[in-house]
Amino acid sequence: MDARDLHDLTPAYALDALDAEEAAAYEAHLGQCEACREELTRLNEAATALAWATAAPEPPARLRSSILDAAAEERWNVVPLLRRSWAFRATAAAAAAAAAVAVGVGVWAAGAHSTRVVSAVISVGPSGQATLRVSGLAVAPSGKTYEAWIIPAGGQARPAGLFAGGRTAVVHLRGTVPQGAVVAATLERAGGAKAPTHAPVFSAPV
Amino acid sequence: MRNVTRELAHLSDEALVALMARSEQQALAELYDRYGRAAFGLALRVLRDETLAEDAVQDGFLAVWRTAARFIPEQGKASTWILTLVHRRAVDLVRREQRRRGDTLDEVADPVGGSVDEVAWLRLQRERVQAALRRLPDREREAIELAYYGGFTQSELAERLGQPIGTIKSRMFTGLARLRELLEETAPEMTWTPETSTT
Repeated sequence: MDARDLHDLTPAYALDALDAEEAAAYEAHLGQCEACREELTRLNEAATALAWATAAPEPPARLRSSILDAAAEERWNVVPLLRRSWAFRATAAAAAAAAAVAVGVGVWAAGAHSTRVVSAVISVGPSGQATLRVSGLAVAPSGKTYEAWIIPAGGQARPAGLFAGGRTAVVHLRGTVPQGAVVAATLERAGGAKAPTHAPVFSAPV
Repeated sequence: MRNVTRELAHLSDEALVALMARSEQQALAELYDRYGRAAFGLALRVLRDETLAEDAVQDGFLAVWRTAARFIPEQGKASTWILTLVHRRAVDLVRREQRRRGDTLDEVADPVGGSVDEVAWLRLQRERVQAALRRLPDREREAIELAYYGGFTQSELAERLGQPIGTIKSRMFTGLARLRELLEETAPEMTWTPETSTT
């Protein structure tokens, strides 16, 4: 796609009407194109006005507490590796920060049988103790459990705890998470395994 | 019911985002109290399912929390940024769940529940935006609404409406530019600071 074509994507990007590939190409272009950033600011304000034209029933009270609880569990400087982010706002700075900070967040599709968005947030404390918070994973079938793993760079996966899945699961990981490790989860037989026996349902670099 | 005094109610949205970047959870709570309801209404409009809408709002607000340090006030209002992040999550979900619908703006029920101020303010905003939308040429409105509320990509819209992609792009562009002008004609700022009293 040449620059001219990319400029033309601004209104669709403002409306979130690009597919993932087009959106990524456009975001890369935005980092280098002042004119598109300015136009996007204008068109995005107009697009977002549509949000106010909808009915706005009161959200359930649990939503507020659920958001605040989830935020409280995350360390302040979490760097999100979200599929589509607002990263173009400070592309270079964000890239530098991502290299320095040891926390990951991701969004994955959970596999062929499920199309739910799964998000996992790993918060690592100062001494390497870590909490994994997983949202959107289906409840583990009867006789099965999810098992979390800490996989040090170049090392063997260590079992780090069992959890049942469901709307939101919080797992205090057993052991510490070293720099450069990956945290993953697999579906295992009830009671867990000593080493993963299935492909991970998700994995995230920390 | 929330009984906490809203200590940060006097701050601007942008000041709250700056506080969030320093991990002030109260700032997130205050921004949720300002825009959570609009965000939920938007997510529900796109997803038409309360559970999915809650997921989209939660993911969107957590993205707001995590990326507050990257927010640049010169590139748009904080409220736009927040609603954009929620809208993205809603669109991602609706595409995955294959729940997209092709109808354009519904008859929208009046907001109910919450404080009198909040309901009145939401109604005012809604009527203002709907009035502007009604003044757009039908084809422009259709392209914008199907994209924003329906979650369709521009390529899908081209196919669905039987038009070349260039036509869809230009309808979106002209429609958004015109909508912006129409809204500016009637513009009070679309930000709102709720009363410090409890709801």
